[in-house]
Amino acid sequence: MPKITIDNRDVEVETGTTVLHAAQKLGISIPTMCHLHGHEATTSCMVCVVRLVGASGLVPACGTVVRDGMRVESESDEVREARKAALELLLSDHVGDCAGPCQMGCPAHMNIPQMIRQIGAGQLHAAVVTVKQDIALPAILGRICPAPCEKACRRRLHDEAVSICLLKRYLADVDLQSPAPYVPLRQPSRGKRVAIIGAGPAGLAAAYYLQQDGFECTVFDDHDEPGGMLRYGVSEQDLPRDVLAAEIARVRDLGVTFKLGTRVGVTIPMAEIRSHFDAVFLGTGAGTPEQVEPLGIKASPDGIKIDSQTSATSVSGVFAGGDAVRRRRLTIRAVAEGKEAATSIRQYLRGELVAGGPRVFNSRLGKLYEGEMEILLQSASAASRRKASGSTGAFTGEQARAEALRCLHCDCRKLDTCLLRQHAQAHDARQARYKAERRPFVQQTQHPDVLYEPGKCIDCGICIQIATEAGEKLGLSFVGRGFDVRVAVPFNETLAEGLKIAAAQCVQACPTGALAFKDARGR
Amino acid sequence: MEQLDLTFVDQIVAKVGTGPEKVLEILQAIQVHYGYLAIEALRRTCELTGIAPASIAGVSTFYDQFRHRPAGRHIIHICVGTACHVKGSAQILEEFRRYLGIPDGEDTDSQKLFTVEKIACLGCCTLAPAVQIDDITYGHLTREAVPKVLKDFLAHEQARAAAHAKSRRPRPLKAGSQGEIRIGLGSCCQARGSGRLHTALQDALARTGTKVPVKRVGCVGMCHQTPLLEVVLPNAASFLYARVQPEDAKAIVLRHFGVKWPHKKLTNVVSGALDRLLTDEKWEPVTRYSIHPRDQAVSDFLGRQIHIATEHCGHIDPTDLEEYRRHGGFQALEKVLKEWPPEAVIAQIETSGLRGRGGAGFPTHLKWSAVRAEQAEKKHIICNGDEGDPGAFMDRMLMESYPYRILEGMIIAARCVGADEGYLYIRAEYPLAIKRVTEALEKCREHGLLGARILGTDFSLRLQIVAGAGAFVCGEETALMASIEGRRGMPRLRPPFPAQKGLWGRPTLINNVETYACVPWIIRNGAEAFARIGVGRSKGTKVFALAGKVARGGLIEVPMGISIRQIVEEIGGGIAGGLKFKAVQVGGPSGGCIPAAKDNLSVDYETLAEAGAMMGSGGLVVLDETDCMVDISRYFLQFTQNQSCGKCTFCRIGTRRMLDILDRLCTGKGERADLDELAHLAATVKKGSLCGLGKTAPNPVLTTMRYFREEYEAHVAGRCPAGKCKALIKYTITDDCIGCTICAQHCPVDAIAMKPYEKHEIDLEKCTRCGTCKAVCPSRAVRVE
Repeated sequence: MPKITIDNRDVEVETGTTVLHAAQKLGISIPTMCHLHGHEATTSCMVCVVRLVGASGLVPACGTVVRDGMRVESESDEVREARKAALELLLSDHVGDCAGPCQMGCPAHMNIPQMIRQIGAGQLHAAVVTVKQDIALPAILGRICPAPCEKACRRRLHDEAVSICLLKRYLADVDLQSPAPYVPLRQPSRGKRVAIIGAGPAGLAAAYYLQQDGFECTVFDDHDEPGGMLRYGVSEQDLPRDVLAAEIARVRDLGVTFKLGTRVGVTIPMAEIRSHFDAVFLGTGAGTPEQVEPLGIKASPDGIKIDSQTSATSVSGVFAGGDAVRRRRLTIRAVAEGKEAATSIRQYLRGELVAGGPRVFNSRLGKLYEGEMEILLQSASAASRRKASGSTGAFTGEQARAEALRCLHCDCRKLDTCLLRQHAQAHDARQARYKAERRPFVQQTQHPDVLYEPGKCIDCGICIQIATEAGEKLGLSFVGRGFDVRVAVPFNETLAEGLKIAAAQCVQACPTGALAFKDARGR
Repeated sequence: MEQLDLTFVDQIVAKVGTGPEKVLEILQAIQVHYGYLAIEALRRTCELTGIAPASIAGVSTFYDQFRHRPAGRHIIHICVGTACHVKGSAQILEEFRRYLGIPDGEDTDSQKLFTVEKIACLGCCTLAPAVQIDDITYGHLTREAVPKVLKDFLAHEQARAAAHAKSRRPRPLKAGSQGEIRIGLGSCCQARGSGRLHTALQDALARTGTKVPVKRVGCVGMCHQTPLLEVVLPNAASFLYARVQPEDAKAIVLRHFGVKWPHKKLTNVVSGALDRLLTDEKWEPVTRYSIHPRDQAVSDFLGRQIHIATEHCGHIDPTDLEEYRRHGGFQALEKVLKEWPPEAVIAQIETSGLRGRGGAGFPTHLKWSAVRAEQAEKKHIICNGDEGDPGAFMDRMLMESYPYRILEGMIIAARCVGADEGYLYIRAEYPLAIKRVTEALEKCREHGLLGARILGTDFSLRLQIVAGAGAFVCGEETALMASIEGRRGMPRLRPPFPAQKGLWGRPTLINNVETYACVPWIIRNGAEAFARIGVGRSKGTKVFALAGKVARGGLIEVPMGISIRQIVEEIGGGIAGGLKFKAVQVGGPSGGCIPAAKDNLSVDYETLAEAGAMMGSGGLVVLDETDCMVDISRYFLQFTQNQSCGKCTFCRIGTRRMLDILDRLCTGKGERADLDELAHLAATVKKGSLCGLGKTAPNPVLTTMRYFREEYEAHVAGRCPAGKCKALIKYTITDDCIGCTICAQHCPVDAIAMKPYEKHEIDLEKCTRCGTCKAVCPSRAVRVE
């Protein structure tokens, strides 16, 4: 059995093993996109390149069979750089959005397209869960949010944006009015306490997520009622107080303690807070700097200074967000920051590296070429934007469903499983690294269950192998040569003709969103 | 839509067979018959053969040769090879399209008479810029000549149709004692009318009653002088005529063989002939064309050369087996089959120092030993004749001129490694090479040199030709084998090497045309004799295709270690037209540009590699001061990104992104940061690509950035110092204008208003920077800025 070393670690493997599998045996994970176990290595994506010591150039680990005495480098800077370059080259030729423009436009990055599809499919509870994963106070925001998501909505280029904000409000209202409003599952208590200072949107959001994660949160506020600027800065007409109260009640339902009429630094000294609590979140709103500077927390005239990635202040264990950090009076941003700080606090309390939420890689389709809007419109309702007719300016159920059908489904159907996205993120790859004119955006929709977007294909050919093995009569083939190679069905036939039996297998094996299942509504 | 008659498909499948490896041959036949690959015909092929639709779709879209939409009656192939590119093939293409009124996005004129297609390289680099209309090649084209060429072609077509009925083929004459006339019949010579000259000569001889054999010989190498004609008198004195026209045939016959005319015919023939003799004008061409080996130019051209692969160049008839044998042909094979054990032959090859002539220079004996060492039921041998580099035509010339030598080398190699079945993979763009090799194969079979029990021994070998279909990457050995197997020509990772797992998974020896052609000489003359030629680890000779801006282009065989200067200045006669020598592009898309300042560089594997270029298969394109090095890089990247098989990311997308940057530089949209990005990409593509095509594709960029960095900088600043990049230049007319209106008459886009006796002006909005005005101006009043 040949013995080799990978990153200076010895391993003995069966004759005929590839470097990729030998590395797996050592627990070294070499990234790969085009390799599928049990199939012939296509040595195509080149994301798995390694260096063989003594050889010139790099080789793909998936197709390189070990030889006795081989020495492999898989973690050197050179190898990482080359992998990143391979990913960036693939990304420079990747036509499509990961998350849709609306989600990218939302400061809380709420999965808007998913919410909309769930409304369209009548799955209202699931839609509420989707919303509350990222937005703790949707009923409130459904009334006062200026909706940056709608400004980003691609449908605006055709007629008007999808009425995202009202859809969210509709969902939140339906939930609050239901006999048993949604309360997320709470993890068992971890025995750690977090002080949340300020019961405004940032503090409420932080408490909402930290409490779910099993931390004991206590919210302090000098006012007698929670809500902060939502109560004291927004008119009752814009935000009825019963809605405010109902949504804050959902935070309370999770077990969050509220200490109202308590001014930290006056009623309770900060030192006491620090000694009783394992971490602190400052969601103290505007005008905070004078109050925190005596505590040794660095601030500027605008607000508390924090690390933009982790929300950490200059004092260990103290985090901040919302208007306390920078005056901007955008509630959705405060809610988003509360959620982000919760992520860092969770890491801090678990003793992990405090890094904040992951920087999520996101491919962008960018500006549409002529005729491309029509492709997206094919599967969307042609109706124009609905006006809400309810007495309070809310959607009825029927209106909400009809409005939901206007969504263009810009986001990728393989958002969570796409290997290109995962590796791009892990390698900190940038899509814009190589300037390029993009290919046209194409969707092949003829197959009943599967959507094919050639612009997302990385030409690995795994689907071609699968179709052949499955005995497809027509199957798939590479067509063309050079930069223009694409996977296509022979003789210009449709995908429905090409994949009669192996479609599902191909979708599962496809490393990107090129082949994907259509959604519940067949789009 | 009209129903396509598919009977032909049935016939061709019945004739060719149904195996998956037959796919190229079937598709080629379908294309010839229907003019394109109609989907119905492809479906029918699937039904009849069991070749999968996916396989047909993949293969038929991989190769340049195949069309998927109907073509016009005639196909105009515009060569866009390197030599043609630097001599303005882009303008020629533009002019053909413009003249035929072909709209953007189309390739055929409205009457469906002509289809205009680009072709990677016709391998007629000394004729640059060249085009091929059906099977007729036209060289040295200018924009002006386009209408004339089309007219000539159509006239020729008519004549051909008329002559078809009463075709009388001149019978080949046997060699006699009264001397002979030799005509070069390589592709270059033929393109320049040697076929017509041949007919005219036969005619002149018949009419004068002269009994002198006319012999077709292979390429003489002096392609700049074609068509070449050599007269050998009974006393062995010889006279060489260059650039001979059919109308000169009679005068030449008269000059040398006049004394032998039967007296009775003299009167009427001579009276006509005397007219010509007496007219200086008529005689002048012949004297003007007459060159002699003792002439300085000719001796310079030939003096430095050593003929091994091209042994007996210009003397022997390519397909005359007896003549090849008279010149020592197949003696080496006899020795190998009857006297020497294979190990001894391989030892000789090792001693000779022969290395692969296809580009990488891998020691030949190592390949042979590796295949020999394999234990297998069956082994294969392949001759790689897929010479796809634009700007190279060595292998074409060797196959056209010395097919027996290549076959002899191959049979010897097959014997040494134990292969009994083999293929010659020849690119389809070389019809004459395919024809000659086919003929040679047949004769070898007839004479017991191929087939069962060769020369009465127990060694057997079957060889056949596979015609490629237009894909540069098929020159890569693993891609070539995939192509023979009937798949897309996509390279795979090595190891395993072909010696272990080659064609159909069996041990396979694959060598280049020229490598095999060197073998018989080595066996006959001894390995030491070969090893004495050359320098360092580069032994023997190398055949180069010398083309571009050099005064005397052609096929040359020189000792390894000769300097670039000796090739360009002595053999090539320097730059044509008195311009300055700037660089030489060696090795095509895998090679690089060596600047004039480094012209003392020794031409051998190691030195060229150190300089950032590589031997490649041996294309040498000489560049002068009017050639833009950024444009040259862009030209090669255009080529490689299109020729990439598309498999691995670095090559498929990386070369495209390099091209994007070069496009920006050439159109004035480049930025300083682009230069760093280009260098970074080049290094990454070189390091990360899967096969040789990708690994070497950045070389043209890397060498030009290394030696001509200032030109890149100039492009960032919006200038093209060579005046080549259209977006960065403009044409103006100076005060030297004499108002002759010639420019206005020739401007293809009417950008110059006709103003007799006044200074003319160019409308820059309309001007396409084609350069016609500058070329036609008699008073040098057009300036490029």
